[in-house]
Amino acid sequence: MDLFLLFVSTGLVIGASYGLIAMGFALVYKATGVVNFAHGELVMLTAYVAFSLTQAFDLSFIPLMLVTIPISMLIGLALERIFIRPMLGEPVFSIVMVTIGLAVILRGVTMMIWGPDPHNLTAGVTTRVIMIGHLPFYAAQLMSIAALAICTALAWAFLRFSRIGIAMRAVAAHETAALLVGISVKRIHAIAWALSAALAAVAGVLFAMNFKLAPDLWFQGLKSFPAVILGGLDAILGSAMAGLIIGLIENLSQGYIGQGLRETSGFIVIIVVLMVRPYGLFGDKDIERV
Amino acid sequence: MLELRNVQVLYDRAIEAVRDVSLSVPEGQMIALLGSNGAGKSTILKAISGVLYQEDGEIVSGSVVLDGAPLGSRSPADIVRRGLIQVPEGRALFAPLTVEENLLMGGFTRNRAEARDDIERVYALFPRVKERRHQIAGYLSGGEQQMVAIGRALMARPRMIMLDEPSLGLAPQIVDAIFDAIVDLNRSAGLTVLLVEQNAQLALDVTSYGYIIENGRIVLDGPVEALRANNDVQEFYLGMAGGERRSMRDVKHYKRRKRWLS
Ligand SMILES: Nc1ncnc2c1ncn2[C@@H]1O[C@H](COP(=O)(O)OP(=O)(O)O)[C@@H](O)[C@H]1O
Ligand SMILES: [Mg+2]
Repeated sequence: MDLFLLFVSTGLVIGASYGLIAMGFALVYKATGVVNFAHGELVMLTAYVAFSLTQAFDLSFIPLMLVTIPISMLIGLALERIFIRPMLGEPVFSIVMVTIGLAVILRGVTMMIWGPDPHNLTAGVTTRVIMIGHLPFYAAQLMSIAALAICTALAWAFLRFSRIGIAMRAVAAHETAALLVGISVKRIHAIAWALSAALAAVAGVLFAMNFKLAPDLWFQGLKSFPAVILGGLDAILGSAMAGLIIGLIENLSQGYIGQGLRETSGFIVIIVVLMVRPYGLFGDKDIERV
Repeated sequence: MLELRNVQVLYDRAIEAVRDVSLSVPEGQMIALLGSNGAGKSTILKAISGVLYQEDGEIVSGSVVLDGAPLGSRSPADIVRRGLIQVPEGRALFAPLTVEENLLMGGFTRNRAEARDDIERVYALFPRVKERRHQIAGYLSGGEQQMVAIGRALMARPRMIMLDEPSLGLAPQIVDAIFDAIVDLNRSAGLTVLLVEQNAQLALDVTSYGYIIENGRIVLDGPVEALRANNDVQEFYLGMAGGERRSMRDVKHYKRRKRWLS
């Protein structure tokens, strides 16, 4: 029983990471219709930016995030402006190809600046074990789960109540109609990239704190794909939930069935789910996609 | 207020959808643009609103002039801010959003407080919309959706509204209610209206001047009394004569045009 709970708790931690990354994918997809294949690279890049900030200023976690998030948003805006905006009006497929190219560039740049060696990113967070009931957690693990909860709540409130958030849903629902009421679709796209980069920073820093910071961190982007698909590509809140589900499934199948299943189980699950619900667990066929 | 001068529109740089179209909508007037399916009506409205690029369409010659200034390549949002709004064909609501969110988005170019006030004005105009305000727009009936679409357009406080086939697929009483509301806005608030319709009967009842478009060209225009009296209009658009429907282009429209211009 305790073993089961341990699998659950570690599953939730990695699931929170998947969820945060999947939300970033979903946000850009929902607003712009493009799957940003460079999102994992953005997660890695922003984590390295945070690492350099801690090296230079010795910031603790909260101040670190307060600096890293705005910088990441600027990076997101710049990438959108330089690589995506000029592609406006081109077929979605071409734009997706651009994001794949962008991914390769970002990997190269990261390797060039920070080198191949792994680093530890602690951000002044205690490494003592905290017991919750019978379950041992590291502080950083709890922070991951809390971050997912906070980001989900913020995303929900943003999409429900803010004008820009509602406009983002309007653009997703009917782009021409959005233009016709005077919504600047370009601006909404840019904002989506900025917010997605902010989510990437939260995901990247917490992943680096829980595991390690290395130039293969981008791979978490691909590993989050089962969560992205399970949630429904355009379901931002659904992605968060799906991340947790995939994290649990991976850990439990590894624990009870065997090591090799960890990587594959998530993908097996999405294949099965997509046969039943092609638009994901939370994505809706055509009505309501928050 | 709005003028089109010799506008030509191509899709995909090859398909000519609109050719040499000139028309003028004077301030405070209600003008009809009539034509059958595929004639080029929606293309004209998209050209005016600046959203052709979305479908790989382009104004290749001529100009759209609003209040004496050519719109050139202004953004759709800019055109909305200058007081010109369009209610697109098929309502084009934001289906997953609530009715109230749809209306709020209609006021996107204005500040939040103004938008809040104006929502009440829309509710006063269409009480049915108020009853439905917390429902998902995509689940409303066609008539209710059309009311929301018009309400959403009014939220921008336009000086001129362009309606693309507002009667399409609606029951006659609903159409009456919607047309009454539009006529009322024109009379009481001085709203300028360009009404695009396939249903000439309806449109000629409420407008003062009409243009008839076929295969991308204006083939006839004139005051509505004159259009009504015209034999070809009676035959082809008002369904008064029997027989198979021919195109007006089969008739020598040269002479006919001359008659209207004299
Ligand atoms: N996106 C498009 N690409 C290519 N051709 C189009 C497109 N939209 C409309 N057309 C063509 O342009 C012509 C006019 O269409 P449209 O303006 O929609 O007519 P209407 O609104 O009068 O029914 C039609 O022949 C139609 O096939
Ligand atoms: Mg049309």
